[in-house]
Amino acid sequence: MTKIEILGTGCAKCKRLFANAEQAVNELKITAEIVKVDDLIEIVERGVMLPPALFINGEVRAEGRIPDVNEIKKMLTE
Amino acid sequence: MTEKPTCSCGANEPKRIIFPCAGQANVGQLTNLAAIQLTEEGYGSIACASLLAIGSEGLVTNAKNVDEVVILDGCPMLCAKKIAEAQGVPVGQHLVMTELGITKGPSKSYTNDDIEKIVAACWKGEGRMKKAAIPDKKAGGKDGGCGCGCGGTC
Repeated sequence: MTKIEILGTGCAKCKRLFANAEQAVNELKITAEIVKVDDLIEIVERGVMLPPALFINGEVRAEGRIPDVNEIKKMLTE
Repeated sequence: MTEKPTCSCGANEPKRIIFPCAGQANVGQLTNLAAIQLTEEGYGSIACASLLAIGSEGLVTNAKNVDEVVILDGCPMLCAKKIAEAQGVPVGQHLVMTELGITKGPSKSYTNDDIEKIVAACWKGEGRMKKAAIPDKKAGGKDGGCGCGCGGTC
């Protein structure tokens, strides 16, 4: 199962990114686990200096910006 | 792979200019409020569609040089989009409030949910997913009046 992680401390941008990821998964009708990671120490330990960040299956796919639904769908279907 | 961040202030977000139509009706005023919230959230910078309409050289140049121009129109008259096109400004994302399910009416009242709906649609890139319908001028709109779908109240 695809694992999507949103790394961020809970600001408006993190929430938008989470919502976009949720919509992308729903539109693709795939099963995926979407997880919020808001622990600052974990965020830093994973090398994210510019939240929010989007990880798909453990790989960072976007950092410091919010990919829109279509872009996330492309990432998930690659 | 991800692109490399350039700094730690969130400046990785594409550079955008947001033009709300800022019309007098409720939907026009909502475009203004949504554009302000989008600016506060770091999505882009609000700019004046009226200034664009008079052909301000600086604004036209800026609008042509940003990563994306976002147009927020209240109703199917699409005034802000037409202004941008008249100035040769390419539109990257275009949202029409009435197409988002917000009813144009004489009341100026709105809810925070209305603003949230518009702002969320922008962040999701909904304006890039589908093309906004251009009203048929010959038909004079579906209500046969001014063409803006207001039913004669604007």
